[in-house]
Amino acid sequence: MSNNSWKIARRSNAQLPLVIVLALAVVLVLLGKAQSGLFDRARMRITDWMAPTLESVHAPIQAFNRWVASADELFVVYRENLELKDENARLKQWRNVAVVMQDRVRHYQQMLHAVPDPDINSVLARVIGRASRPFLQTMILDAGESRAVKPGEAVVDSRGMIGRIYLAGDHTSWVILLTDLNSRIPVTIASADGKTATLQAIMTGDNTAMPLLDTLQQVVTLHAGDQVVSSGDGGLLPPGLAIGTVVGDGDTARVALLADPASSEDVEVLGFRKPAEVLPATTQNQLPAVAAGLPPAAPPQPAPAPAAAPAKPGTPLPQMPRPAGNVSAQAQVPGPVPGGNE
Amino acid sequence: MGAQDRARLMMGARLLSALLPVTCGLLGVLISNLPVTLFGGLVPPPLLGFIPIYFWCLVRPDLMTPAVAFAIGILQDVMSGGPPGIWTLSFVVAYAVIQRQRDAFAGLAGVAAVLGFATAALIVCATAYFTTAVYYWHMSPLGPIVGELAITVLFYIPGAFVIGSLHRQLVGPLRSDF
Repeated sequence: MSNNSWKIARRSNAQLPLVIVLALAVVLVLLGKAQSGLFDRARMRITDWMAPTLESVHAPIQAFNRWVASADELFVVYRENLELKDENARLKQWRNVAVVMQDRVRHYQQMLHAVPDPDINSVLARVIGRASRPFLQTMILDAGESRAVKPGEAVVDSRGMIGRIYLAGDHTSWVILLTDLNSRIPVTIASADGKTATLQAIMTGDNTAMPLLDTLQQVVTLHAGDQVVSSGDGGLLPPGLAIGTVVGDGDTARVALLADPASSEDVEVLGFRKPAEVLPATTQNQLPAVAAGLPPAAPPQPAPAPAAAPAKPGTPLPQMPRPAGNVSAQAQVPGPVPGGNE
Repeated sequence: MGAQDRARLMMGARLLSALLPVTCGLLGVLISNLPVTLFGGLVPPPLLGFIPIYFWCLVRPDLMTPAVAFAIGILQDVMSGGPPGIWTLSFVVAYAVIQRQRDAFAGLAGVAAVLGFATAALIVCATAYFTTAVYYWHMSPLGPIVGELAITVLFYIPGAFVIGSLHRQLVGPLRSDF
């Protein structure tokens, strides 16, 4: 009897911490869901601390990766060389076209007094680490807040956009790749033939090599080869950053990315801040009515002493005092009449 | 050597043996989460931090307590960069299963022992996968997590050898004196 009770007591003592720890783990997950940046500070401290080691380790590992990648390329190098020459010739033609078009666009912008694009500050950074884990695809850069790198900024290489800054420490920063599950980018899809209008969509990563395209409209027709660029919606990313091309995948559309994060060595972090819209000063000379050639509105008259009863719905509004002077024909166009749609 | 020196030595040895499992677990997490990819990122990193949890949970559960598994899981969460708590929960759930089926796991030898570890690692990966699916409300591709499971099982063979040697050299003899 006593032996049996000892076993029960021992068992309950042993199980109690496990139950508590299990509950704590569940609480941690829920807490992480509520506040996703729970471990961010610790992550950045550790990454900053490891940065010198990573920099020294990165070069030999990169050389090893290059050697491994080049082993199977030896067999296709001749065919690939021919294809590259062909592609290079075609790209030179496109380059000429692009230069002409750029001049023409600049000319049109001057004629239309178009608002110039905002300046983009860029910081050149080196990739010192990569991690491809089941639930996170990231790379680590050797530039942090000390070089004005901030979370949310776009990271591009010579081919196109790679991702966005996710965490920024003092000397290092984490990049969330476009392929990552957490990545969502507003994009514009321009048709390859230039005949159909551009479309807006959200590009979402799902941990595969090609992110998904989620178009905002119900019925859209996407063609393989359509160009995908950043739309700039939300003001976090500059518009027009090259991202990739549309590829069909059954019923869904995906994006074949131009950049290859696995091989990028030097990248640019684009510090883009959309300038705040400056409202025109509200002096009398700049009022819209004056700008339209109308006389300025008279200052409001003091209200009569007895307050009028509130108008019933459907009752015509009382006429407002008209300003003195001639009123142009345009100004006499009647506004919407209450109950006019009856 | 006087009695006081001997007691001090024993105390130091006890502390060392108590710290060895947690140190191995934390070290495993640090090594496996170095932001370095080999073979162009095709090979996922193994869950090295889980090997000491499994080993000492079977051999000496008094050294690998749930709290230690929790601490190793937290470091894995911090280092891996994923959603907070996912690996902590996975390690603790697997710990609970191993503890309940301790006799069955501990009786395995040879290939069966590797299969036993594979079962425990499968529990870890499945818990992480489904918790992440609920977390994001999206089923991520199975390929990376299956790859991680496979590479973790592969690393268990040398890992268990190293940990077993450490245990025999440091923990076993020292604790046997108490």
